[in-house]
Amino acid sequence: MANVISFKNEMRDKLRKWREDNHRNSEQIVDVGEELINEHASKLGDDIWIIYEQVMIAALDCSRDDLAWTCLQELKRQFPGSQRVKRLAGMRLEALEKYEDASKQYDSILQDDPTNTAARKRKISILKAQGKSAEAIRELNEYLEQFVGDQEAWHELSELYINEHDYGKAAFCLEELMMTNPHNHLYCEQYAEVKYTQGGLENLELSRKYFAQALKLNNRNMRALFGLYMSASHIAASPKVNATVKKANVKYATWATNQINRAYQVSYARCLL
Amino acid sequence: MYNRNVSPSAKKSQPKLEWRSEHTSKEKKKDSHSIPILCVDCIPLFHGTLALAPMLEVALTLIDTWCKENKYVIAGYYQANERTKDFRPNQVAEKVGARIAENFSEAAMIMVDSTRFTMGCYEPILAIYDHHENKWKCRDCNVDSFEDWCEAQKITSALLEGRSYESLIDFDNHLDDLRNDWTNPEINKSVLHLC
Repeated sequence: MANVISFKNEMRDKLRKWREDNHRNSEQIVDVGEELINEHASKLGDDIWIIYEQVMIAALDCSRDDLAWTCLQELKRQFPGSQRVKRLAGMRLEALEKYEDASKQYDSILQDDPTNTAARKRKISILKAQGKSAEAIRELNEYLEQFVGDQEAWHELSELYINEHDYGKAAFCLEELMMTNPHNHLYCEQYAEVKYTQGGLENLELSRKYFAQALKLNNRNMRALFGLYMSASHIAASPKVNATVKKANVKYATWATNQINRAYQVSYARCLL
Repeated sequence: MYNRNVSPSAKKSQPKLEWRSEHTSKEKKKDSHSIPILCVDCIPLFHGTLALAPMLEVALTLIDTWCKENKYVIAGYYQANERTKDFRPNQVAEKVGARIAENFSEAAMIMVDSTRFTMGCYEPILAIYDHHENKWKCRDCNVDSFEDWCEAQKITSALLEGRSYESLIDFDNHLDDLRNDWTNPEINKSVLHLC
């Protein structure tokens, strides 16, 4: 009996951790969550509802419509008329590729609550799923005019632009993110990658600076370290730079190489522990 | 924002694999038209944005070095797109493929057709493209491009059932933590075990 109780608590804690860390390990969530729901539902208290939501989304990822449907029914019963549950119903329709029905579902949410950002973002996700990148970009831009502070949306837009090879606009999105999150090393590093990809001496120098900045913010960011090495090396090798600039960049590249080698040595040592 | 995860090989949405092939003599290089290239391993690269240059260059450089140490050559590039229904080569695939073809003229570009993926792996779901006159042409899918498809099918299916993809390491994982080994020795061992 004690074993059963501790299993339940352990699994519940795991699910909570995955929720908090925003992990998308859907197969594991389904494995753990399904058992928890089937065997221990009555003993989970109010946690059960958020668990139903978490398991439902994971079930959609794993094409487990049976499980998703079960979770959805429980949530509908407990929270009739809830917008949050309506959105989950919409997501299930998306998973079944019933995009028109899903869109109608989100439209009905928006009719009751035009500021419901979740429903608007799901509509954009539908466009993305259908491969309608230009429309997704247009809708997302419109969304951002209204909801200027939505970081997730700016980041999504930067990715959409990158996939369309529109690096200039992707850079703009990342600039917005860096402005509002000056200590975020990931945005710095991604911006540097976009600049590097754009190419040309000026962009390479900018990219090197932002790789360096990302490193300053987090000296364990390996992408920033490699990026610093690559950009400095390319600049040093460029026929367009003068001797001083070349010398400086060779120095940066050498420094980066040493740091990279050290990082590998440290990681091998840790492997052996 | 959620979008459906479509790739078979783990939680990755766009695993990219590069095929390496073994070259045993200089002569093989000259007359590679007559001797078929055998790809003996593959290395998954990224599962995020593919269209950015720096990390791709880093990956190709490190893999190329490793290949030379092991007497291999990078012989191709494999890509699975984020959207299941999207199985045509895009600009990224063509560019990377062309880059690899610069160093190895017989390079192949391989696209995964996720719509035909099954756990049983009974049919090959790869479309193989060859580089001719700066264009990529799809090989006739009726031509057998596999050394031993039956064996490959059995092994792949077993690996999928055993969820070996949960331990698959790609280059992105390596960049997140250098201890993650993109040569996937454990999975290679499992493959040999199942042979």
